[in-house]
Amino acid sequence: MAELTTPAPGAASKGSPANDGHAVAPGQDVAATAPVDPRAVRVRLAASSRADGEAMVRVSPVTGPLRMTNPTVGLGPLGGVALPPQAEAVKGVLAQRHVLVDDSRVEVSLTPSGGGRYVLDEAGERSRVILEPASAADGGVQIREVIVDGFRFLVESESERIAALRERASHGRASSAHSGPLQVKAIIPGKVVSVSVVPGDAVTAGQQLLVVEAMKMQNELRAPRDGTIDRVGVVVGVNIEIGDLLVVIS
Amino acid sequence: MTSEKPPFRRVLIANRGEIAVRIIRACHEMGIEAVAVYSDADVHAAHVRLADAAVRLGPAAPSESYLRIDAVIEAARSTGSEAIHPGYGFLAERAVFARAAEDAGIVFVGPSSETIEALGDKLHARRLAARVGVPSVPGTLQPAPVDHPDKVAQIIATARTIGFPLLVKASAGGGGRGMRRVTREEDLAAALVSGSREAASAFGDGSVYLEREILPARHIEVQLLADAHGNVVALGERDCSLQRRHQKLVEEAPAPGLTEDQRRQLHGLAIRLAREAALRNAATCEFLHDPDGNFWFLEVNTRLQVEHGVTELVSGVDIVREQLRIAAGAPLSAEVIAAGERAAVPSSHAIEVRIAAEDPARAFAPTPGQVGRWVMAAGPGIRVDTHIEAGDRVPADYDNLIAKLMVHAGDRDTAIDRLRRALDETEIGGVQTTLPFHRIVARSDAFRAGEVSTGWVEQHWDGDAVRADAVRRALLATGLSMLDGAVVGVGSAVATGSGSPDGAQPPGRNGWRQGTRAQGVDRWPS
Repeated sequence: MAELTTPAPGAASKGSPANDGHAVAPGQDVAATAPVDPRAVRVRLAASSRADGEAMVRVSPVTGPLRMTNPTVGLGPLGGVALPPQAEAVKGVLAQRHVLVDDSRVEVSLTPSGGGRYVLDEAGERSRVILEPASAADGGVQIREVIVDGFRFLVESESERIAALRERASHGRASSAHSGPLQVKAIIPGKVVSVSVVPGDAVTAGQQLLVVEAMKMQNELRAPRDGTIDRVGVVVGVNIEIGDLLVVIS
Repeated sequence: MTSEKPPFRRVLIANRGEIAVRIIRACHEMGIEAVAVYSDADVHAAHVRLADAAVRLGPAAPSESYLRIDAVIEAARSTGSEAIHPGYGFLAERAVFARAAEDAGIVFVGPSSETIEALGDKLHARRLAARVGVPSVPGTLQPAPVDHPDKVAQIIATARTIGFPLLVKASAGGGGRGMRRVTREEDLAAALVSGSREAASAFGDGSVYLEREILPARHIEVQLLADAHGNVVALGERDCSLQRRHQKLVEEAPAPGLTEDQRRQLHGLAIRLAREAALRNAATCEFLHDPDGNFWFLEVNTRLQVEHGVTELVSGVDIVREQLRIAAGAPLSAEVIAAGERAAVPSSHAIEVRIAAEDPARAFAPTPGQVGRWVMAAGPGIRVDTHIEAGDRVPADYDNLIAKLMVHAGDRDTAIDRLRRALDETEIGGVQTTLPFHRIVARSDAFRAGEVSTGWVEQHWDGDAVRADAVRRALLATGLSMLDGAVVGVGSAVATGSGSPDGAQPPGRNGWRQGTRAQGVDRWPS
């Protein structure tokens, strides 16, 4: 069992979790280098929200006792008022816990405050996050809209166990999120006005696959990575809805 | 019953979006029937729902709907509308439209077509300012001789006296079209030719002139109301310095940091211009304010401004209501005269942020689409002008503005606090908006210190960094919620009693992220 760690005083998150200032506990190295925990979750921005260099992260549980912290939910800069102990039992105490984000250990909690709103607490630094309901998991990948600080992103998430199974089935490897067939799905509704690829075509990342017209705008859909076109699920002229399978790249 | 007899029985609003909604509201408050016009993209739009009658103009493209003068005039005629309110944008500053209304015997809510035409020509406006001793931004007063290669030496000599860098601007211009920034005199001739060509294709008039680039500068404008009886009142000024691509993002009234004397001087300049131009109804005089304290006249907008609401909040005057009264021939009311007398000593502060469907981390690129979650702020001192509700589409055919969030408080600091609070309450999904930018403005020490200029966005907005921080937390929160159903198990955690509350948070710190400064990264060099 991993040891319970407490952040060093003032060691609030300094941006990237990869170089944050948390104390490193004995045993963490084991967790970091051990085979990927099947309970882990892979999360990344969906292709439509992604900018260059924005990679997948893997969030894994760290086994150990929960550490309690004061429940501090609600809006506003005065939201950080601790409830008295009796109220905690009523409202529920938040588990401030450790997780691994990729290989770094972070102390976090996520507390629902109703209507899809959550308070994310990173070692005492809180922010409001909205998690909209996920679209029906298709092939194990859930997509949901996440709103943080006025930004809205489409975020894909997938359990490590399912992802690993899928990857083993297709490539016998479970180490890379980029292996396995990639399903390119519609992120906006619209009408397909051109299709530039046919099955068997080799494509490189960034190459145009098809063009969807939506809201009088021509939206080019580009290959998210190198590969070979496995299937093309649409033809010119069809109307598509969000989530429709457009192209499979292997 | 209403407080006074309605100035018109029925008014047509030749616009869409939040401004059409705002004008319809004023009509209804005054007991006037409101007639909407709409394109095929707006069949279910808010302004159509709110109006008492609605007339289809044509397909979505503005040139086939909201810009069709004949169709709008016919809509007014067929519905028996006595007046047309043009709002802003579309036909609001087209002299031919005002003239078509006048010819059809319909009151145009705005200045006369002659005034619109004269002031729409920026060179004309600059000459008018020179006549009444109002200093314009230094530059030329006649069109540059673009078609006369023999006069190149002459224009370069003129440019030297103005000084580089300078701007080539279109006389008929607006929105930065036809504008060129020139830093070296060898580039001037080419900039004149290309600017002129762009202006000719955009406005049908290729006249260009030279103007000194004033940097850093603040953009300050004066709200005017004038009646048909020769009364002109300045209701106060607004600072609209925070812009991107010459489009305003944040506006406030009054302009921070001006002395009472400066306000009196500025309002006086605007009134002098308005009298000389025989302005009627609502208009705005725009000035640049340089660090030495000079005000340089830029142009006159002969219409209601997007940002008129902040002046309404501070002055207490309903500008649209006054526009309709003035259009019907009424003299400025005693309240307006009194508000003008108070304008140099404002007793409250208002700030507006324009929430637009644009991605502030991607150079404010437009993001049309369907709005998902839509929660607007409310409570003390908040005004939201919008035409949007959850599920509405933001069409790509029109302006991106989807809501104007205004806050009003006794002083500027309190207004900024209120803005921060209101933005925290605002939740918009489905389309990316400018909200992240506004949140940073509301938390910026430079903004709070009144350090605003037209270069503010370039200096203070690091969209990539703000976005990256939000992405990190979005992924982390998603991962946590997936891990084990997030906090489903918290109740059992209490039962096991496996820990006690500890004071992990340093005293005196509330724990809420206060923007990027909380991370110890100072992205706000002053």
